[in-house]
Amino acid sequence: MTDLRDEVTSGAGTRHHTAAAHVLLLRGRVIRWSGFSVRLDVRSTSVCVVLCGLLVVVSLWSISVGDFPISIRDVIATILGNPTEDSEFIVGTLRLPRVLVGIGVGATFGMSGAIFQSLVRNPLGSPDIIGFNAGAALGAVTAIVWFDGSPTQVSAGAVAGGIIAALAVYLLAWKRGVQAYRLVLVGIGAGFAVNAFIDYLITRAEINDVQRATVWLTGSLNGRSWDEVRIVAVALAVLGPLAIIMQRRLDRLDLGDDTAAALGINVARSKLALVLVAVCLASLGVAAAGPIAFVAFVAGPIARRLANSPSACIVPAAFVGALVTVVADLAARRLLAPTELPVGIMTAALGAPYLLWLLARQARTGAL
Amino acid sequence: MTSQHPPSSRLQADGVRLAYDDAVVVDDLDLQVPDGQITVIVGPNACGKSTLLRSLARLLKPSAGRVLLDGDLIHSMPTKEVARRLGLLPQSPIAPEGILVVDLVARGRTPHQKLFQQWSESDERAVRAALTATDTLELADRAVDELSGGQRQRVWIAMALAQETELLLLDEPTTFLDITHQIDVLDLVRDLNEHEGRTVVVVLHDLNLACRYAHHIVMMREGDIVASGPPAQVITADSVRDVFGLRSVVIDDPISATPLVIPADQRQHDRSDDQ
Repeated sequence: MTDLRDEVTSGAGTRHHTAAAHVLLLRGRVIRWSGFSVRLDVRSTSVCVVLCGLLVVVSLWSISVGDFPISIRDVIATILGNPTEDSEFIVGTLRLPRVLVGIGVGATFGMSGAIFQSLVRNPLGSPDIIGFNAGAALGAVTAIVWFDGSPTQVSAGAVAGGIIAALAVYLLAWKRGVQAYRLVLVGIGAGFAVNAFIDYLITRAEINDVQRATVWLTGSLNGRSWDEVRIVAVALAVLGPLAIIMQRRLDRLDLGDDTAAALGINVARSKLALVLVAVCLASLGVAAAGPIAFVAFVAGPIARRLANSPSACIVPAAFVGALVTVVADLAARRLLAPTELPVGIMTAALGAPYLLWLLARQARTGAL
Repeated sequence: MTSQHPPSSRLQADGVRLAYDDAVVVDDLDLQVPDGQITVIVGPNACGKSTLLRSLARLLKPSAGRVLLDGDLIHSMPTKEVARRLGLLPQSPIAPEGILVVDLVARGRTPHQKLFQQWSESDERAVRAALTATDTLELADRAVDELSGGQRQRVWIAMALAQETELLLLDEPTTFLDITHQIDVLDLVRDLNEHEGRTVVVVLHDLNLACRYAHHIVMMREGDIVASGPPAQVITADSVRDVFGLRSVVIDDPISATPLVIPADQRQHDRSDDQ
């Protein structure tokens, strides 16, 4: 904290003798340029830079290791367009898309989780806990089993399923407004119901589709191709900037609906837009890699702690989500090598203890 | 708007009916908030004071009648436009976990900011002025969670001040505060009114403090305005008995010469006049 303060002081210290009175009140820096100004939180930005660096390192490592190891140098060369004979197929077709999908879905889940947890004011409000991801999964499984869907159709199915689940949970939890704990409990219940329905669909499906659907349902990055990279890339390119822009509203809503409205935020419209963006982000993540458990759930709280910020930390959460997913996938591939586990099992192993701890704590403090 | 007599009013309610779902709380109510004055709304619990305040701040849409801000229908105005002219401190605002005082107060600048105008010189100036006015400048780096109730309330008021609106609505700003902090907060309200000419509407429970600080008192019962005007006219033994069901003696406050309500011993008399 103190080093940040120093930095801030030095930034404002140019006007010398009034420096004390002109020290910027806010943490972070303000970049001003002809009538425009942007606030930059130094700590959040540093966290993102560090996470990004780690992400690159782990990704390269993950691409390089495997039954057929490829040196990091060859990996980089291949990515830069100078492949060797072997590396072209292994890197370009197998491992690079896999890692990119991991990064992409981690980021979509992280953003979506951060938005929902802030809206619900409860870490349990993330889309994987309250049944939205299950809804998206149901939509995607339906597309796979009934229509033998293309990646686009699976995506559309997932988004439709996610939105319907969100709508259903919201309506069921409605009782003169929506209380966080009701939403969480109804959502968990809805998740079970949806999963039961998914099981039913699976039992009625063609055996080949069942194979495809089950692997996908555990949340797996195995066999991901450039098709799935495209899904998450589009999701991030379109919805990511929207989420970042809307963080400002999200942070005002965090003061309570009345205060937010008094500050000039259109509460109903902002909430609707935020929910839509967050549901679509999570659903497209699900469409690309299945409902990978707990990534959305853990990313937000970790990001907030790292950035030490009271805001929703959407961007840091995206990086945390990406890093968690890629690390989990690396572990899932290599821990029991040559047997590969689906990444969802790995993230569940990490996330479940955290969930238990959180439930115990909230039960004790009466938050739930 | 341009007339001087009676005192002009930028904010008024005109035959409003306010309801939550089907429960009508307020019906056919008229109110003119006098410009440049402190208006205090008093009344028993659940008489519709806060509901009225929420509708004046555009948070609750009347099911009949209208609320006018500067002569325009407040519910047809953009939220942001309203927020530049009228500030509201709700009864129980929520401070995000770990937020610093300065960050909270800075959020009061929201209606003056845009996507790429996140922090201008005037934002900085307004926040500094708000912190200074509420005597919270030295708390700027502290987390809001760590503050005492009185400090926290001053910080919330600072947030509403940073919004730099000429109209300021405060919903029970003294609840949960000890007597010293209640006086602190109300002195601050009076300063804002006297030095900066802000129009303030406050919902209060304490009748004696209401009398002391208000130019204009609005007394409510069961969703109706029973009386309004200067404290000495509105607060009488009769009106207190009618509105609160409390028998009392009203004397002059020895400090401010405003009405001072002394509750009578409710047990010694027969209860027939309660009916």
